[in-house]
Amino acid sequence: MVKFSLPENSKILKGQYFKDKTGSSNLKIVHIYRWDPEKNENPREDTFEVNLDMCGNKVLDILNKIKNEIDSSLTFRKSCGHGVCGSCAMNVDGVNTLSCMKSHKDIKGDIRIFPLPHLKVVKDLVADLSMLYKQYESIEPWLKTKKSKLHENEINQSKENREKLDGLYECIMCACCSTSCPSYWWNGESYLGPAVLLQAYRWISDSRDEEKKERLKMVADKLKLYRCHTIMNCTSSCPKGLNPAKAIGSIKKMLATS
Amino acid sequence: MNDSKNPLSPHLQIYRWHVSSLLSITHRISGVINLLALISIFSWIIILSIGESNYEIFLLIINSFFGKFILIGFTWSMCFHSLSGVRHLVWDLGYGYEIKTANISGIIVIISSLFLTIIFWLFARGLI
Repeated sequence: MVKFSLPENSKILKGQYFKDKTGSSNLKIVHIYRWDPEKNENPREDTFEVNLDMCGNKVLDILNKIKNEIDSSLTFRKSCGHGVCGSCAMNVDGVNTLSCMKSHKDIKGDIRIFPLPHLKVVKDLVADLSMLYKQYESIEPWLKTKKSKLHENEINQSKENREKLDGLYECIMCACCSTSCPSYWWNGESYLGPAVLLQAYRWISDSRDEEKKERLKMVADKLKLYRCHTIMNCTSSCPKGLNPAKAIGSIKKMLATS
Repeated sequence: MNDSKNPLSPHLQIYRWHVSSLLSITHRISGVINLLALISIFSWIIILSIGESNYEIFLLIINSFFGKFILIGFTWSMCFHSLSGVRHLVWDLGYGYEIKTANISGIIVIISSLFLTIIFWLFARGLI
């Protein structure tokens, strides 16, 4: 059943206010979602005054600054800092994005940061993505060839066939798209979601793969694929500029014409 | 992790609306309104068959300000849902998935649905 409101234990309370201690006039107000698994409390929204004089351009720089200088208990995932690993995906200013790619200079007024939407929170900005990884595994994201054929050399791919993977292989599985999708919020257990469907399409489109038919059959399930209603939040949020909505549309079209 | 102790992160409460998501939800709502419109049309036929005195009451309702508002609303809902449906069909053909294109097609749907409603009512009133 679709539930639009948050459960009682997830309602966000007003949190602490961390006043600036540096005396700078170049301040940015940042509101951050906090939840500590060790305390038996509801999540809260803390507010930080951040001195931008000595801070990098990206939202991740602000988070690092807060962790280093204001509140070391702030928890978030990060790794590469250059939009390659997909660890620092979160909801910034109402849209899912990678905090290492998003410039805070593009945000007018206060910045509000939440974990990726409609997931179980592990701590602060870290949310649990295990279901998405399980769904990713279910589409068998590896090259499949017929066992009877022994490939002694590498399987060559023409330039044209390789180009079919452009806009698909770049996906880093940061989950920004899937967790921006209302269909995925309401039917996350049965609907695969944009990230996994884009990956499914990546393997369907691979000229070297020999199980295209089986793959198509697998995703041609009412809930697995057709819960996509072209809301397009996925494409709007993708920090890599990919188009999951189009990939899903292409799978639908392939199924309709095959 | 199915620990019910862990809170659910906020979703609808915090996610920013885009043209595309607003149009998607409006498409659904107008679909429901269209169903109500169809029920109203059937009720109209039934009332018509019951007799003149009942029909007088029906006329009174639909000629009131509220009645007219509902009828114009139904017209808009029908226009919007049909045009938005065409947009969905174009998507199904594989076109118009770029954000910019989808925004433009969405705005075209909104403006033409309003325009069609106006044309329809001007025509119905014999003004054109």
